[in-house]
Amino acid sequence: MTLTVLAPVAGVVHALADVDDPVFAQEIVGPGLAVQPDAESGAGRSVVAPVAGTVAKLHPHAFVLLAEGGRGVLVHLGINTVQLGGEGFTLHVAEGDAVEQGQILVEWDPAAVEAGGRSAICPVVGLEAQPDSLTRLAEPGTRVVAGDPLLSLA
Amino acid sequence: MTTRPRPGRRTSHDPAARTGGSHEGKRTMSKAEQILAGLGGDANIVDLEPCITRLRVEVEDPAKVTESVLKAAGAIAVMQQGTVVQVIVGPEADTLASDIEDLR
Repeated sequence: MTLTVLAPVAGVVHALADVDDPVFAQEIVGPGLAVQPDAESGAGRSVVAPVAGTVAKLHPHAFVLLAEGGRGVLVHLGINTVQLGGEGFTLHVAEGDAVEQGQILVEWDPAAVEAGGRSAICPVVGLEAQPDSLTRLAEPGTRVVAGDPLLSLA
Repeated sequence: MTTRPRPGRRTSHDPAARTGGSHEGKRTMSKAEQILAGLGGDANIVDLEPCITRLRVEVEDPAKVTESVLKAAGAIAVMQQGTVVQVIVGPEADTLASDIEDLR
């Protein structure tokens, strides 16, 4: 069954290859897209669940949801943000929670991340998915709001 | 994991060749032990932290990192830049990191 993955944050869609991190850019953990939050407008602060499922892994700056069929979707909030040690991230769920698609999971401040010299771009990855199973529902260069369809996984 | 580590991979500077026997598995090293070995052992690790799908490791001597050992241990990929090594292991990174900490 096709799994529709929503944009977790508002911003501009980018190809994963544009992400300044070799693991994401080379799609080593899976194919996907990235969303660059509109840091200046203050949008992109709310991070919503791209799929319904279970919170399999939760860090302040990244999470993995397990959707139906055991498919994992990874959202990473910014690049090298593990170095922030959770500062500036407010979590609204816990590991193991069941979440609904579109539910707010985390709030953060992309502008503050960028002010700290890090990219706030958010890779959204179908973990271990086959590259050809991904269909883009939003093209790179277009703008999405949190909850807009971003991609689907066959 | 059914893959057995090849004894030939153990090298003289590899402390896991010593720690391997002290932990539970006598026949095979655990995944954490194999990764520790691939990173050049405890003494070579300056800092190790998990980040959702990867272990970010700062090592003392990058030359002691053996990519083939890390891959044999199940790493999807290994990214090395100077003294920083990223071992891509998938979402079990947290668990593996704490297993590795337990060995150190």
